Order: sequence, then C-alpha cells, then structure tokens
Amino acid sequence: MQQPSKMNEEELVEYFRTQMRTDPDMASAVAAIRTLLEFLRRDKGETILGLRESLKWATDCLTEVDSSVAVSSGGELFLRFISLTSLEHQDLSRCKKVMEERGELFLEKISLSRTKVAKLCHTFIKDGAKILTHSSSRVVLRVLEKAAAEKKRFTVYVTESQPDTAGKQMADALRRINVPVTVVLDAAVGYVLEKVDLVIVGAEGVVESGGIINKIGTYQMAVCSKAHNKPFYVVAESFKFVRLYPLNQQDVPDRFKYKADTLRTVSDLSDEHPMIDYTPPSLITLLFTDLGVLTPSAVSDELIKLYL
Amino acid sequence: MPGADKETDLTERIEAFLADLKRGGSGTGPLRGSGEMARETTYLLRRITAQARWSSAGDLMEIIRNEGRRMTAAQPSETTVGNMVRRVLKIIREEYARSRGSSEETEQQESLHKLLTAGELSEENFRQHFVLLKANVIEAINELLTELDGTTDNIAMQALEHIHSNEVIMTVGRSRTVEAFLKDAARKRKFHVIVAECAPFCQGHEMATGLSKVGIETTVIADAAIFAVMSRVNKVIIGTQTVLANGGLRAVNGTHSVALAARHHSTPLIICAPMFKLSPQFPNEEDTFHKFVSPHEVLPFTILCILTFLSELKVNSVSSPELITLFISNIGGNAPSYIYRLMSELYHPEDHKL
Repeated sequence: MQQPSKMNEEELVEYFRTQMRTDPDMASAVAAIRTLLEFLRRDKGETILGLRESLKWATDCLTEVDSSVAVSSGGELFLRFISLTSLEHQDLSRCKKVMEERGELFLEKISLSRTKVAKLCHTFIKDGAKILTHSSSRVVLRVLEKAAAEKKRFTVYVTESQPDTAGKQMADALRRINVPVTVVLDAAVGYVLEKVDLVIVGAEGVVESGGIINKIGTYQMAVCSKAHNKPFYVVAESFKFVRLYPLNQQDVPDRFKYKADTLRTVSDLSDEHPMIDYTPPSLITLLFTDLGVLTPSAVSDELIKLYL
Repeated sequence: MPGADKETDLTERIEAFLADLKRGGSGTGPLRGSGEMARETTYLLRRITAQARWSSAGDLMEIIRNEGRRMTAAQPSETTVGNMVRRVLKIIREEYARSRGSSEETEQQESLHKLLTAGELSEENFRQHFVLLKANVIEAINELLTELDGTTDNIAMQALEHIHSNEVIMTVGRSRTVEAFLKDAARKRKFHVIVAECAPFCQGHEMATGLSKVGIETTVIADAAIFAVMSRVNKVIIGTQTVLANGGLRAVNGTHSVALAARHHSTPLIICAPMFKLSPQFPNEEDTFHKFVSPHEVLPFTILCILTFLSELKVNSVSSPELITLFISNIGGNAPSYIYRLMSELYHPEDHKL
C-alpha cells in the first residue's frame, strides 16, 4: 500500500482550512494541533531533530495563514509535546507511534476542556445577574449556555466589537437560546457598567504573568470594571497558555497584533489598527480554566510545571 | 454481636455530632470555636476509619464523603468541618498511592504537563485492597491531630517577628489565635492594643479583659470609632472564620470595614489563621454561608411590632485579597497571592466539591 506522501505547504494550509470549515466550533489552536498531528503522521524524516525542524516549519506556515496567538501557542505546545516524548524513547519509529497515540489522547482531552470550564464557571452566575461580555467567544457562549440550562435567569450585554462587529454573532447565538441580550457600542462600556454585576470575557492567549491577550477593547473593559469594583472573570482553555511576558501594550509582538494578510502586504504598521490588546493580571479577578479556577498568580506556576 | 454494637455506636456518635453542629450554629452549643470543631471532626473521622466496614480505599472515601456531605449540610457556615473531611480524603489518596509504590504526590494535580505526557484517560478507581492501609491512614490522621493541637502555639511563636516595642495594634472582636499571639509577644515587648468591641455580641470586651490580665495596655472602642482611630494604629491583626481560595476572608461582621479603613491609611493588615481554616471555596459561589442569628441581642423580646422589619442579623462579612498584607499560619507567613499553592498542597482538586 502506498504511504501518503509528506505534506507540503499547500496541503498543510488546505488541511488547516478544512478543519476550521468543517467544525466552526473548534478552537483555532485545536485545528492547528490536529493539522500538525497529521503532518507528523505523514512525515518521512529519519531523525528526531529533523522532525522538530519540519514541525517548526509547519507551525510557521500555519501562523502565516492565521496569525492569532492561539495558533502560535497551540504550535508551541505541540513542539513541547514532541520534545517531552522524544526524551523518553530514543528509537524514532517507536517514538512516532507513541507520539501519534498520545496526540490522539491529547486531542480527546482538550475537546472536553470547554465543558470543564463551563462546569466551573456557571456557579458564579447568580439568578438575576447582568453580565457584560466582549466580542464573540465560544467559551463564554458555552458557559452562558450551561447557566441557562441550569435554569438561571440572566441578561447579557455584548459589545459590538469593531472592526469586525463580532459582537453581533454572539448576540444572535444568545438569542437562539432565549437569553435576553443587548448589543452596546464599544464606547458605551463605561456607561453600562453601573448596571452590570459581573464581566466575563474569553481569551485568545493567557500570558505568563497571568494577564490575557484578547480582542481589542478588553483592556478598556477591565480598567472600567476595576474602577466600578465589578469582578472581571476570564474563561480560557489551558492550551491557550503562552510563554510571553509583556509588561505593556508595546511588548506584545507585532505578529500577533495584526491579521496575517496585513502583515504581508503593509510595510508601515504604525497606520494599522491592532486587533488585540493586553490586559494585565492586576485587573483580573479569576481565571476559569480546565485545570481549575486559578488566581492570576497561579498561571505562571502552571506554565513552569510544563516548560521546566 | 460486637460488630453490630460497634456500628450502632458509630452511628449514634455521628448523629450526636450532627446534632451538636446544628445547635452549635447559634454559638451556645458545646462546640465553640473552630479549633474544637476541627478536632472533633477529625476524631470522628478517625473513628469511622477504624470502625466502619470497608475493604478498599475507594469504599472508605465514599463513606467519608457521604458523612462529610451530611456534616456540611447540618451547618453550612462552619467550613472547618468540610476542610477536615477534605484533608482526610487527601490523606487516604496519599497513603493509597504510597502503598501502590508510586511516588505520586505531585502527579495528582491536573497540569498542562500531565495533559501532554499521560498515558490513558482512565481514572484511578482506588479498588485495590491493601492490608496495611487502615493502619497507615489512622497513623496519618493522628499526625493531623498533633498538627491541629499545635496550631495556636506555632502561630504565637511567630509573634516577636511581627510586633515591635511601642507599637499600637488594633484588633477586632475576640479570636483565640490573636489573643495567644499578642500574649506571646507581651512576654518580651511593651505595646498598646486597641480592641473594637464588635457589636452585637461585644466579644471585644472579653478579649480586652483577657489581654489586660497579662499586663498589656488595652483600650476598647466602639465599632463606629474604627476609622477615626485608624490613623494612630501601626498594625491591624485580626483572626478570621475562613480563608477563601482566592486569598479572601469570611470573618466576623465589621471585618470588611476595618480592612477598608486600614487600606485607606496604608496600615498593614495581618491575619492570624491556622491552616485548617483554609477552604477551597470562592466567594460568590454559595450564599448559604452567611450565618443569621436572632435579633434578641439588639432588640428585647418585648418589642414585637418591630420584629417584622428586622428578622435576622447577618454576622459574617467577606473581604477581598487585595486588602490583606499577610497571612500568619502555623506553617509561617504567606502573601494572599500564594494561597492557591497552599491549597493545592492540602486538598485534592476532585475533593473541592464534596
């Protein structure tokens, strides 16, 4: 039987895009990891070092397609996974078999992570609560679905989230499950906060300091919640933990701030609008992850356990 | 038959304990103070381990979990009961792992590392039978009891590092731990203590009498005067009923106001709390942890018409971790942001919800 040939760039990108298309509910990091696993299966390399090099190349290809933090963190996690496994088995073919098995298991486990997060978070939503959220996040949607399923009555305010008005999608999804929802302007966050009981947002990446990287406008919301003394909760799966330590907005690398096409075509980025911002840990009350409910100081502990 | 006698004796003891817990809520039962409650719970759990019928660690954990649920349901505001049950469950897990020969102390927690390197999705079901498990668990529970006995002394031993001569210390209400802490420091240092009386039970008065008996200069103030006096205070040292998982507190009414006043004047707020008060709950999760008592302390029973307005008094308040400077416990001083680590050492994540 003919073995499938090694994936080249087009096949890689096509596979990634197909994954994202067939399951719109899948996180982009999960799609990236699935793609890399398929790449691993078809790889013809003879050495582990060669394998690592080709995987790094594959991750770079994927980040050119989708420059979000999540894809980058998914790729790094996969590379780490390869390194850890290769330390245990010296023989390449055995190593690859073990990697493929563990890779499948890993994918299975992380497909359950959103459910775990929803189970932890929905108890913090009380009956009659008014919730504010930013843009469209599938994890937040899952949490709110679980709370609605537990027969809690709550209303949601969603920011419209320019420039792609993703907030409207979130509002549609919530209307479908019969949750009263209002779309507000991004500029109206301060105005609406006095009515709101708690703020829940998703995250594209969780950084080492315990802060988050998320759609532009999140930082503003966090600062306003602090001023109004409202709890600011973040819900994120654990594969979004990334090895960055930004101290301010400028420290976030440009490759995350702008879309992939923008990075390729535009030469002077100072005229472009960034798509994400960084929220420092001092503004975050609690993070809900599939590893448990964490205070921002506990996040770096988790990352150290993995990377050291 | 001796077996049946033991079992009925055990059930009787459990029922008696539950009844005590229910009565203990009003502050008048035989169980006063969380230290005694923790000790009683641990004795009872040791007895259950010794006398109940179980063949594997899984069975024992089920029994203890069921009893634990009943105990926490009897008095939800006493979190030390639940904490001790969780400690014992962790002890059982550790002893089981040790009997199996795996050094699994750090691998029991969920982590990214574990996600990447673990083998199967299967869970430990604790079904293996080990002959020595009972003896090991009982020995470990005895160690826990020794630790519980020594907590107040361990905390008091650290007093000299934190209290200096000629300082003005403020405290609120009555806490046995803080009393021992201050008395220990008074052996070598001269300082002044201001006690807020803490209406309506005015336990501050008992605290002040206790402190002045050992020669500490004490002043009692009304709760309303806390903010006014705060500018003269060097440190605020208080006890608490529970330490929450985010580093916050659930303590006697008025603690939050003291914490805010201390923050306003940039006065350090030190909490003396033994480790058994650390609970894996977060604030907002359950509102059933507020204790309500009858208003007879405030209004005499003869004023019937006003009872429709004031039917209960809330006696607990919740503080957030940003207001706290330091936690002093029997294992040393820690920052509130470090509480998550202490918690992961004491309790297993699967036991957070009994």
